[in-house]
Amino acid sequence: MRKMLEEKYFAELREAIIAGDVQRARECAEKIVKEGLDPLKAIEEAIQPAAKIVGEKFEKLEIFLVDLIMSADAMKAAAEVLTSAIKAKRPLKPVGKVVIATVQGDIHDIGKNIVAALLVANGFEVYDLGVDVPALKIIEKAEEVGADVIALSALMTSTMRGQKDVIDMLKAMSIRDKYIVVVGGGATTAEWAREIGADGWAETAPEGVSLIRRLIEEKRGVKP
Amino acid sequence: MKITMTEIVERALTGKPCSEREFDIRLSKRARELVKEYGISYDPANPVPRDFGLANSVFKAGFQLFCELGVYCTSTNRIMSFSEEEVRYALKHAPAEVWFGEGIDRRALTPRKPEDKRPPWCFLGAAGAPVSSEQILSILVESYAKIPQANSITTPALTRVRGVRISPGTPLEILGAIETVRIAREAMRRAGRPGLPIMNLVATATTDSSLISALNSEFGARSSDGVLVGILAELKTNFALLNKAFYAKSLGFRIAGELGPVYGGYAGGAGETAIVTVAEHLMGLMVYQADWYLAFPVHAIYTANSSRELLWVRNISAQAISLNTNLLSLYLSYIAAGPMTEMALYEIAAQISSIVVSGVSIEAVGVAKARHEDRLTPIEPKFAAEVAYASTRLSLQDVNELVKQILPRYEDKLKNPPLGKKFQEICDIETGRVSREYLELVTKVKKELSDLGLPIE
Repeated sequence: MRKMLEEKYFAELREAIIAGDVQRARECAEKIVKEGLDPLKAIEEAIQPAAKIVGEKFEKLEIFLVDLIMSADAMKAAAEVLTSAIKAKRPLKPVGKVVIATVQGDIHDIGKNIVAALLVANGFEVYDLGVDVPALKIIEKAEEVGADVIALSALMTSTMRGQKDVIDMLKAMSIRDKYIVVVGGGATTAEWAREIGADGWAETAPEGVSLIRRLIEEKRGVKP
Repeated sequence: MKITMTEIVERALTGKPCSEREFDIRLSKRARELVKEYGISYDPANPVPRDFGLANSVFKAGFQLFCELGVYCTSTNRIMSFSEEEVRYALKHAPAEVWFGEGIDRRALTPRKPEDKRPPWCFLGAAGAPVSSEQILSILVESYAKIPQANSITTPALTRVRGVRISPGTPLEILGAIETVRIAREAMRRAGRPGLPIMNLVATATTDSSLISALNSEFGARSSDGVLVGILAELKTNFALLNKAFYAKSLGFRIAGELGPVYGGYAGGAGETAIVTVAEHLMGLMVYQADWYLAFPVHAIYTANSSRELLWVRNISAQAISLNTNLLSLYLSYIAAGPMTEMALYEIAAQISSIVVSGVSIEAVGVAKARHEDRLTPIEPKFAAEVAYASTRLSLQDVNELVKQILPRYEDKLKNPPLGKKFQEICDIETGRVSREYLELVTKVKKELSDLGLPIE
């Protein structure tokens, strides 16, 4: 009976997330808690598989950015309900904390927004600082929230140096090793990432999320 | 009456407040609804459609989207609104010809129509792709100016000046922007075409301050050149962009509304991206008071616009603009592959032939997505111009059949395209002379295209 209830509600939650229905996802998560089902299991068996499906659909452009954002919102809403239920019992370790920004001098945000939405959809705690963000502000935020990853976007060839400025400042502050720094955006290449000493580069948003996941795994020595 | 720049700024300051996220979502949803309402559907089997009823629907939907949504100003978090009457008035009085260049290279850019037999305006060169040194910039621009079909030049962007990597908002950016204009002018003089206009002033300038610095005639900029003022995706602007437009307009430069809606981004799918492309032409007209338009809808994953969906988006939106307005629109080609690859030439052939018969002019070409430093040569724009001229002898239907045969030769490689070789590996850095190997490759591909029905020599 309990197994059937789990299957029903988890499937409903997955569907709500894939459909980007925030209200339904929240209500479904509340029902899971109310029925006394395992909230951690709901995250693992409903939210995470739904996130994977949404990511794959976006990569094939079967869905678009607005759908991705709505799904990420639905996931966030459901996750909030479920994690507070878990917190009542035991703390839940976050998948990873990412501070993301488009670097100073660059005002383009679509690529960065896609990565941020996909990261949220994959259960990361994301601090999106927006566009044209000075190096020091990015670092201060990373320090404040105890980030694992700093993700830097730049669209223009003339603004990509802003990514190097962040890495140089981290080195100057002797905290470079505290963070995984990844770069991306229209103007950037793997060659550029190597040149400036970034930990990784990805061409597309889905690749960026996989990269961040892999680098965290490597750094922690465990699967996030 | 025409709306003044003062009124534009006033609307940005006093428009209806809205969060950026709310605007993005509203745009995506409304575009999706309008695509349904107007029955606009993407047909992958026909990347070069010949359905003027569909093109007119794309125009009407784009017009409605623009008038209903307005333009978002990220500096004030307000919406700048424009009435249908204002937009219709501006369309009616938009310039139907704009002159560029000086002396014997002075030419008028005029609108074209689908299947127009007149050659397109050929805006040739690097499309702002990055180059690592002043020397490469110089020899490239000289080579571009030697292309007989070139009506204007699109310069590369310097990543370094005097060997130091440029940083935005610093004096290095100003120096880079000034040097780009100075070197390009000198290079065109060496090619014997000192009057050729540069239409992408200034690729190296990102900030308003560096653009404004580089537009000084002391450094070679002329009001008969073109200045690009970007539209933020989608339907957004800010005060730095308005500063550029206002200053360039005040000096009499020919301003372009530069629009690159993202397929897969807030615009959404193919139909939606086509109507947003139309709406952003209207934004250029109303907000920047543009004299001409540079459109480059782009794929969110491939970051190029040679895929099947993007060809359709480019072609149908170009037909929509061409059939319904006199706006002077050029479409920019970004290809995924690098120089000296067959794929690059196929991508160019598919994009250029189809956009030329769709009734607009061209900017060619952003090679290797205009992303990889020094991955460009003069051959790609020269080849594009030859394809463009040959295509004027074909109909939309002819080109649709041609493109259907070209696409399978590269579309499965778009995710991991070959990067080819760097300029220094293909061309003599002193003279710009191109390697025999590349010339032979071009001859081979031209022969294939000729066999497929493109009358290229």
